[in-house]
Amino acid sequence: MITITINGKNIKLDEPMSVLKAAGKAGIKIPTLCHHDALETYGGCRLCVVEVERMPKLQNACTLIAADGMVITTESEVISKVRRGILELLLINHPLDCPYCDKAGECELQDLVDKYGPTVGRYTEIKRKVPASHKDEIFVRNMDRCVVCTRCVRMCNKVQGASAIDIIGRGNKSRMEPFSSASFNCEYCGNCLSVCPVGAILSRLYLHSFRPWQIDREVETVCSYCGVGCSVVVQVRDDSIKRVIPRFGLGLNNGLLCSRGRFGYEYINSEERLKEPLIRKNGKLEKSTWSEAIDFTAKKLTEIKNSHGGDAVAGIASPRCTNEDNYVFQKFMRMACGTNNIDSVSRMGFASAQKYLEDLLGQGVTSNMISGVKNADTILVVGGDPTAVNPILGLAVREAARNGAAVAVIGEAKGLEKFKTLKVVPPVFREAELLESLLSEVAEAKDPRNERPAVDQGISQLSGGSAGVDTGELKKILLDGKSISIILGSDLVQRANGHRALFAIAGLTYMLEARLTLLSDRPNEQGLIDMGCLPDTLPGGRPVTVHDFRDKFENEWNGTIPENEGLSLLEIIEGAENGNIKALYVMGENPAFNLPDSSSARKALESLDLLVVQDIFLTETAEIADVVFPSSGWAEKQGTYTNLERRIQLLNKAVGASSSMEDWKILKEVSIKMGYQMTYSSAEDVMDEIATVSPLYSDLTYREISAGHCLWPYHGKPLRGEINELPASAEAPEDYKEDLYLVIDKPLFHSGSLSRKSPALRKICPEPLLRIGPGHAQKLGLKDGDLVDVSTSKGGFDVTLSVDDCLGDGKVYLSNNFEDRGVLSLMGYRLDPVTKAPGIEGCAVKIQKKADSSAGSDKS
Amino acid sequence: MEKILLKNIENPNSADIREYQKTGGYQSISNAFEMQPRDVIEEVKSSGLRGRGGAGFPTAMKWNFANADPKFPKYLVCNADEGEPGTFKDRPILEKNPHLLIEGMVISGYALRAEYGYIYLRGEYPLAKDILDNAIAQAREKNYLGENILGKNVKFELSVYQGAGAYICGEETALIESLEGKKGQPRSKPPFPVNVGAWEMPTIVNNVETLSNVPYIIAIGGEAYSKIGREDCTGPKLYCVSGHVVKPGVYELPMGTNLRDIIYKHAGGIKNNKKLKAVLPGGISTPVLPADRIDCLMDFISMPKHGSMLGSGAVIVMDESVCMVKVAHRALKFFEHESCGKCVPCREGTGWLRQILGRIESGKGKQGDIELLSDITDIMSGRTFCPLGDGAAGVVTGMLRHFRDEFEEHIKSGHCKLSIDN
Repeated sequence: MITITINGKNIKLDEPMSVLKAAGKAGIKIPTLCHHDALETYGGCRLCVVEVERMPKLQNACTLIAADGMVITTESEVISKVRRGILELLLINHPLDCPYCDKAGECELQDLVDKYGPTVGRYTEIKRKVPASHKDEIFVRNMDRCVVCTRCVRMCNKVQGASAIDIIGRGNKSRMEPFSSASFNCEYCGNCLSVCPVGAILSRLYLHSFRPWQIDREVETVCSYCGVGCSVVVQVRDDSIKRVIPRFGLGLNNGLLCSRGRFGYEYINSEERLKEPLIRKNGKLEKSTWSEAIDFTAKKLTEIKNSHGGDAVAGIASPRCTNEDNYVFQKFMRMACGTNNIDSVSRMGFASAQKYLEDLLGQGVTSNMISGVKNADTILVVGGDPTAVNPILGLAVREAARNGAAVAVIGEAKGLEKFKTLKVVPPVFREAELLESLLSEVAEAKDPRNERPAVDQGISQLSGGSAGVDTGELKKILLDGKSISIILGSDLVQRANGHRALFAIAGLTYMLEARLTLLSDRPNEQGLIDMGCLPDTLPGGRPVTVHDFRDKFENEWNGTIPENEGLSLLEIIEGAENGNIKALYVMGENPAFNLPDSSSARKALESLDLLVVQDIFLTETAEIADVVFPSSGWAEKQGTYTNLERRIQLLNKAVGASSSMEDWKILKEVSIKMGYQMTYSSAEDVMDEIATVSPLYSDLTYREISAGHCLWPYHGKPLRGEINELPASAEAPEDYKEDLYLVIDKPLFHSGSLSRKSPALRKICPEPLLRIGPGHAQKLGLKDGDLVDVSTSKGGFDVTLSVDDCLGDGKVYLSNNFEDRGVLSLMGYRLDPVTKAPGIEGCAVKIQKKADSSAGSDKS
Repeated sequence: MEKILLKNIENPNSADIREYQKTGGYQSISNAFEMQPRDVIEEVKSSGLRGRGGAGFPTAMKWNFANADPKFPKYLVCNADEGEPGTFKDRPILEKNPHLLIEGMVISGYALRAEYGYIYLRGEYPLAKDILDNAIAQAREKNYLGENILGKNVKFELSVYQGAGAYICGEETALIESLEGKKGQPRSKPPFPVNVGAWEMPTIVNNVETLSNVPYIIAIGGEAYSKIGREDCTGPKLYCVSGHVVKPGVYELPMGTNLRDIIYKHAGGIKNNKKLKAVLPGGISTPVLPADRIDCLMDFISMPKHGSMLGSGAVIVMDESVCMVKVAHRALKFFEHESCGKCVPCREGTGWLRQILGRIESGKGKQGDIELLSDITDIMSGRTFCPLGDGAAGVVTGMLRHFRDEFEEHIKSGHCKLSIDN
């Protein structure tokens, strides 16, 4: 125990820390400019000087470690004089353009000068001039305002890990610059913006558009982009979002955000938002009224249900919608429409993986905390890049690596290139075999666990074959680990034999006593599962086929739940294609674009008797719908999201949306018209019901959620539903011998439907890029920036080529984020028989350089 | 006094290992290897050797701090970034007597159980680079460096790392940053390099001259060595005298030689029969002494009593023709250029001082400038990250203390009296 005295106050410290931190703990504020709690200590500004008894010179509180018995004074005439002097020095070259500077009002230098600073400057020489840089699409740099505190650099290099900027020049010519004056390393997280104390780095999204004191209100809510669920503060003026910022001390992201979270909010204000309900009349979507659209939908659904039975109806829920929306959605489908045909695009990764892994290892097995990843000593990343899919989780991996953790990557994870200990790239689509052989080796080195018969049996039956890659080093890293985190991306699930790879992951988790995280590229994939938006599960993960569970819900819900399992996502589409499904109700999803073989999916949807879409934009699916309801967007509604750690978090309404309606409310109105009563008057009412019926969300209230730390099972008990026998395995893996295959890319700057309507994200990355390794590009005689025609058996289009040094040969990467040029439209699939996820593999592709005009026309 | 550090330098082949061996070179290694490492440190302790880089910290004390740290590997770094203006004392050792330094480093490495040594060499010493590289190759060939030195199972690897011209890299923590391949900027202390230095390992940074004393200490014993110089500041010292003297050069004299003697007895007095005006006794960072205050003993303990410091022992002599405003201006130009920019007082203060001094020198001084100068030096003094800023402020403070009237004269008359007189 260390006891020190600051300003006469006795402070007891459990561990050694700086005087600055100790003072902060005791509520004593010492002024600083270069120090930031989230960053490593720097000691450059010299404003935090304090007097320490028996020390002749003033000391810097940030670098001075508190020692037992220290007596410290933080404010005195001598100290004030020094601070005044330092501030005078800081101001000699500072432009004093506060009336013009966006930072005024929240500028730390301004505040410090107000408190300690000289009232008059004595500097009469010529000020240093550095022209402002407007070169970047997002950031404006005013380097003559820079105080060289290096917070931005420490943030970029030591926290974000992008290393995109540094201080160049020396002495009073020092200034922050991106490397090579370009932004090629920049991840556009904007975390440098958050820590800049002055107006040196500003965002062009709101440049000169408001003053900090003109903000009408601030609303704490959760980001709408990925499954991490970062807390953000939405700042609103005149009912429009001015800025979305993180806040240190708030949420699991603790002051950090990624490009999508920080700059991707503009879609809410988009002119293209749906403003009124639409009904297809004479083949065209026409403006309608709410009551007409609701009546029409209820009438048509009732007709189809009555003439073809409930199972002619299906619903696609949305991992972008809240728990409340999804809960009402599945209840509506089951009770009003009479079907279990409910699924979502989560089938393509998260939901399939989770279901299978939980069957093997028990419910909740994939709920590793992000802080757990941060503290791991060994991390295995497979099937996706956490720094792109879930950037804040990616930062946890980078932090662990920085603290000495071994990071092993199987496949590609560009954002971990500088942080990985080992990268193993299996031959195309042979991840399952690599993982199986790794599991055999690990199991051999470990004592048998004999706790889960199905897993033990599966391990004992492994063939011991290999993918032709040496796994020795990988095995060593894993066996040396004491606290192991496994991070699993959806690439691995989207295989015809995806369940084999999943079994191997389950086996590794089991044998290594590792903790598991599933990457999740939508904000509420976990919540959607919890709410029962699955064909085989009721809320809380209770199997729909078990009579007792059905019975319990039927009592609560006043009606009958169909007893058979419903169709999964792609089975629904196939059902539409072959005429078994007559009506499809889609909430916040775009199946005509977001499913593999999307042109076939689109055709299938067009053949439906009724397609109902609730969305915020006229998506590819909405365009072919019979009824379209404009629903409220993320910042316009209250509700909850459950993140990939199973943390339940509250979304708050920041801006009004008079012309739209919350998704649950639209469903409620249609349901009532169909004769099934719903009485909720707010999202909170819905949550009250969830807390009553769901064993995982027992007794949950909004009040408790807003206090934070609500991780499920909340007051409830998870169901340990592990199976005792393995499902039958798929056929032998195919041998892929084509020269080049197309695979799905998950880029950092885009997510799809929302990001493509966000101008800032489109400025950062305006078009789809086909990524290829340098070796293969050379082989094809292609170079970075070439316009190429990319084609598969399903179709083709033009796209710009991007040569990426970290990629190997044999694969090209393309995202599914841009209109008309989604990778999924080029890909077929085969269902994994166990997980029902589409196996999107073996998609042979040809790329050909587009002849430019100077080269003459193509004569073939 | 017998030459110890500059022994043999008149021999044109003094840098050759055979010449060095002819006069007893490399014998101290064998002697030291007969001792326990901690006894070598004890020997250095009893010699009273102080670091010759400028601060005069007792060498054995630094070594003991490093020795007490349980972390390995430890690194021994020779600070050969001789950048203090007016300083060229290490250069004759590096260029003429490189084996003395290498021998000193091998013994020091043995004492400290450090198996890796680096010579951080000033970027502007390309000749020394070649000579050192050659000397290291010779020493390795003769098995004075390597895995198993003289078959005694002692390992010491040595290489030269060239700086890129930054003055700040003479500061030991900035030197370490630079050695690691980073931008040269000082680190905050504690932790000190003896505990957390290069690549976060215990690192002992010693000056060229310091390490070059070690073979002689082993040869004659610490006790005998301590008889050279003064009681609490022992050994030979290299004084490098420049400026308006008859015989500028490097003089090896006992520590604590009188400054007046250095200038008049050894360096031949002031050139062209002019009068002495002022002396910067230990390089540009040490406060100026006017002509009537040069009766002082040039060692680490005595000089502060006279309002200055021994520094690097770089005696810069200025005669009556020198304008002190111009000297201050020139010095601040240097400090502004060399300020690394890490801390505010040095980064902004040096530039502001330089601008005001420039104005005064060019006749555009204003009433209040002198007060402003001393206010700025007040803000800077003791507030900067490393001694660079202190040194810069000290130059101005020293000039104002002894030559204030010259500054006032410039401001009042708008020109320099000296430039008209001469």
